[in-house]
Amino acid sequence: MKVRKSLPDFVKDLKLDERFKENIVHWHTIEEKEARTADLPETVHPKLQQALQKRGINQLYTHQKSAYEASQNGSSFVAVTPTASGKTLCYNLPVLQSITENTNTRALYIFPTKALAQDQKAEINEIIEEAELSINSYTYDGDTAANIREKVRRAGHIVITNPDMLHSAILPHHTKWVSLFENLKYVIIDELHIYRGVFGSHVANVIRRLKRICQFYGSDPLFICTSATIANPLELAENLTGVNMKLIDNNGAPSGRKHFLFYNPPIVNKPLNIRRSATLEVRKLASEFLKNRIQTIVFARSRVRVEILLTYLQEIVKHQLGPKAIRGYRGGYLPTERRAIEKGLRNGDIYGVVSTNALELGVDIGQLQVCIMTGYPGSIASSWQQAGRAGRRHSESLVILVASSTPLDQYIIEHPDYFFNKSPETARVNPDNLIILIDHMKCAAYELPFRQGEQFGAVDTEEVLEYLTEERVLYQNGDKWYWMNDSFPAHNISLRSASQENVVIIDFTTTGNVKVIGEMDRFSAMTLLHEEAIYLHQGIQYQVEKLDWEEKKAFVREVEVDYYTDANLAVELKVLEMDKCRYMDNNQVGYGDVSVLAKATIFKKIKFDTHENIGSGPISLPEEELHTSSAWISIHEDFNELKESRLEQGLIGAAHALKSIAPLFIMCDPQDIHVVPQVKAVHNERPTIFIYDRYPGGIGLSEKIYEGMEFILGEATAMIHKCRCDNGCPSCIGTDTSAETAKKDVLRLLYLFAAAN
Amino acid sequence: MSLRKKLNRLKPHLKTDQEGNRKENVLEEEARSDQSVSVPFVKEWENESVTPYYFDGEYCLVREKAYPLNTKYGLYRFSEFVDAVKAWNQSSYNHPLSSKGFSEEELFFFDTETTGLGGGTGNTIFLLGQASIKGDHVVIKQHLLPKPGAEVALYQSFLESVNYTTLVTYNGKAFDWPQVKTRHTLIRNQVPKLPSFGHFDLFHAARRLWKHKLERLKLSIVEKEVLEIERRDDVPGFLAPMIYFDFVERQNPEGIIGILRHNEMDILSLITLYTHLTYQLLSIDREQSITESYEVGRWYAAIGETSAATEMFTSIAGSEEIDAVKAKLALSFQWKKEKWWEKARTLWEEIVETNYADLGFEASIELAKFYEHKVKDLQKALFYSEKAKDLLEVESLENTKNKKFVQVMKRLERLRGKTAKKHS
Repeated sequence: MKVRKSLPDFVKDLKLDERFKENIVHWHTIEEKEARTADLPETVHPKLQQALQKRGINQLYTHQKSAYEASQNGSSFVAVTPTASGKTLCYNLPVLQSITENTNTRALYIFPTKALAQDQKAEINEIIEEAELSINSYTYDGDTAANIREKVRRAGHIVITNPDMLHSAILPHHTKWVSLFENLKYVIIDELHIYRGVFGSHVANVIRRLKRICQFYGSDPLFICTSATIANPLELAENLTGVNMKLIDNNGAPSGRKHFLFYNPPIVNKPLNIRRSATLEVRKLASEFLKNRIQTIVFARSRVRVEILLTYLQEIVKHQLGPKAIRGYRGGYLPTERRAIEKGLRNGDIYGVVSTNALELGVDIGQLQVCIMTGYPGSIASSWQQAGRAGRRHSESLVILVASSTPLDQYIIEHPDYFFNKSPETARVNPDNLIILIDHMKCAAYELPFRQGEQFGAVDTEEVLEYLTEERVLYQNGDKWYWMNDSFPAHNISLRSASQENVVIIDFTTTGNVKVIGEMDRFSAMTLLHEEAIYLHQGIQYQVEKLDWEEKKAFVREVEVDYYTDANLAVELKVLEMDKCRYMDNNQVGYGDVSVLAKATIFKKIKFDTHENIGSGPISLPEEELHTSSAWISIHEDFNELKESRLEQGLIGAAHALKSIAPLFIMCDPQDIHVVPQVKAVHNERPTIFIYDRYPGGIGLSEKIYEGMEFILGEATAMIHKCRCDNGCPSCIGTDTSAETAKKDVLRLLYLFAAAN
Repeated sequence: MSLRKKLNRLKPHLKTDQEGNRKENVLEEEARSDQSVSVPFVKEWENESVTPYYFDGEYCLVREKAYPLNTKYGLYRFSEFVDAVKAWNQSSYNHPLSSKGFSEEELFFFDTETTGLGGGTGNTIFLLGQASIKGDHVVIKQHLLPKPGAEVALYQSFLESVNYTTLVTYNGKAFDWPQVKTRHTLIRNQVPKLPSFGHFDLFHAARRLWKHKLERLKLSIVEKEVLEIERRDDVPGFLAPMIYFDFVERQNPEGIIGILRHNEMDILSLITLYTHLTYQLLSIDREQSITESYEVGRWYAAIGETSAATEMFTSIAGSEEIDAVKAKLALSFQWKKEKWWEKARTLWEEIVETNYADLGFEASIELAKFYEHKVKDLQKALFYSEKAKDLLEVESLENTKNKKFVQVMKRLERLRGKTAKKHS
């Protein structure tokens, strides 16, 4: 009889096993770390001391102590803490302490999701109970029953909510929260690193509104933020809250031994430098662990990947573990479904979970032993977050990063030093993005009239207020601007997505049991929910039979097919206005406003396992227009060595390489920027490559690209040089171009762009 | 690039919240240049009996109108409202709508108009209307916000002319008053405090009495279907925000006066409605239907006003209509509570004989309980339990999880067991 293998056995075997050892290109071991602690401060209320001691906390970790001291000195601060380092005490201790000193004190906790809020309420209530203090802490979100809302508003010492709720339910009704706002002493922002990009820019504006209301009621709260490791926690915290912060990063928590493996799938086609698919490789690795009942989390980059892997893995272990032992987890599942999965992971009923980055967040899923990433998650910070899912409670753990053939993945896997030594990404917000700013200034005006000369964050408000007055949204009387409209502005503004309306996914497989199974933002829906698309949900295949674009509804029916679908998006771009411009030799580097027309064109059917193309069809959806900011570079020197078709192929290849490298150096999510090449750009008739922000109005990414254009071009060139293929491959210039000269042409073009001599 | 240019470029991405209420700019300029304390269109306002109320460099507009008490408005004359208050003062019944202890001049009928729906902070109240009796007249007083920013004057004017401890509203508990509190919070340092207050909300009453016959209980529907009030030349309420925004820009009274009249009609209806409700509750109305009486009785029963409930139920128990039989059943429970077993038993027996199986079922069960526990007559108890089972509908019998079915079967089983024991 086969004996079940344990994780340490596995670690030993991996080094020897012929099937795997060749592919492990880097083995990094992070040794365990001892705890660094300090005594509980004497000023802590005796009852709190007792409660902590009952929970086995006799000392504080060094960072917890610093956090407590900072709060006692009246400083706002941001604490950088890895998973399972006791970060919650960094804010719970100061908050509980100050409520014991003055029972009128109020605190507002903001978590990015409802699930995290629930976890936290449970945790803080345990301490309160053990301390035998009469402190009320409540969650306030969409699930809060109407009959207790009044009580939360009036008597909640600690109100735990999420930014969306703050935005659409609390701030617009601030007059019902007088006792909270008059006595607000602490605002807690957990998982700070989540608030970047568009979402972060929205939330920064929500916080501007919050501060405005606090000022109206005469309070001036301290802000306490906690963040995973990113390059600029202090900057992000200050940009998000608009207050000066102290940085606390002396983490004193212990951690267990961790093996971090870089795994590159074998090359299956030498001339084309094509590697085995990462998905198939992950299937092989994960099934080894799952068969031995080692709790494993598999991360995949897209929802489709999650579903494909889930289907594979459920099939493999169906007989040993039962289909419910492995689950999917991603946005678009309904909350109840997610809660059940989280619970199953904690209590061990579920052995494996395949997830998008949705589980990067601090949702409590307990201790997993192995983490496998299907492809580089796109950022160093994300990778560490995902890796933190394994072995969070001090035991030995294993993390495997399986590279895909994309240039970015190959770059990372070839440069382990880069990954392990470089500081993780910078998280950026641009609260002054006009579209976002105006949305929130409307909400702010709804909440309280604006005064002449009033600042909103760093912005002078007058020009925007005058614009809104012209638009008949505000009314100016004397030195104040008043809301003068019959709408409720917060309801039309979603913090999470560029397009406000989501497409609802409706399963009508069984007549009489038609049900909503999920939802998806509009932009993704263009390529994932078009008619005939195969939509996967919890490993079940559905075909989209009808997409009602007007009503934002997709009707799907369960099917069983051996393929999935993949859609193309055609993009047309033109420059509207150039804001900045500089020259590299004769080449113009520009930055400004552009208009982008996007249209889903065709989709392909791709067979499972072999991944071959087995059919295609047209997509008929209206164009979506986007106004945003973009950086671009053109070749101005006349050259005629490349004919038009080769020039075009070369530009496509160069764009592919730039798209992969750019996120790495401006440190953003790869989804946040797009790259478009043009043989003859409309504005200057020169061969041009545009790199633009995906969000309307831009969130500052393309401006950084404008500044660092030389660097990005240089790195892209180096990456293609180093690639071991002959004529271009998915790992450098992509497969959209197949000419034999392609690789040479791309290098030549990059050389011309960089105006390198 | 200038911010303004950028704004225009991004316009397609910027959601505008209003639809097509653009007016010519000339008029806007006119309105805007006029920001001194002088009141535009004073002459036109005077013709509508509107005068400015000045406070602290701002003003609001106050419209006053009086109607003689003998004016008929729907089913009643206003003078009958005076009778209604007198009737409450003479009655011994306690009821949430009772105005006992008040004179007719102390009640204030109250309604608002706002710039939007729902209860957010930015939903501005632009009109506060009230009516009360002064001598031999009903006097309407409406306070209109001429433009945003003049709310201190608006609330001053309102608060000093009303007794907010005795407001009569339609859904004011859930909407108007919370919204007044919300807007008041924004200027709380400049105006007197709002105390907590007593409140007669007629919406709740209307729902109790007429939900059986009206699908929706909007005031306009109750007016039409119950109070026989016909509105002429009324501006629909949902247009109020639009008309008000237009008024804010142009300041010309012509449009907003329609909203003032609309608000006035709402308030006058409240007087008739209060009168009618009182006549129902105190059985002064001869036209009262059996259903209405039954609902009134149930209301009294629900608030523990037993003698009033009993009286109501008794008054209609002679009829054969279903609501009369329901009243009988309700009455029997009153007797049961007071342990007047014989009275209760008679009613139950009568109900069992009617054609209403549901009610008969309940009465049979009551009789079964009565004979089992009070009289200790197992035979009769068994008889009525069987009877109850017979009265159950076929569907209930087929569904073994049906509550009534389970209830009856348990009872039967127990009774059979008891009987068997006795005989063994």
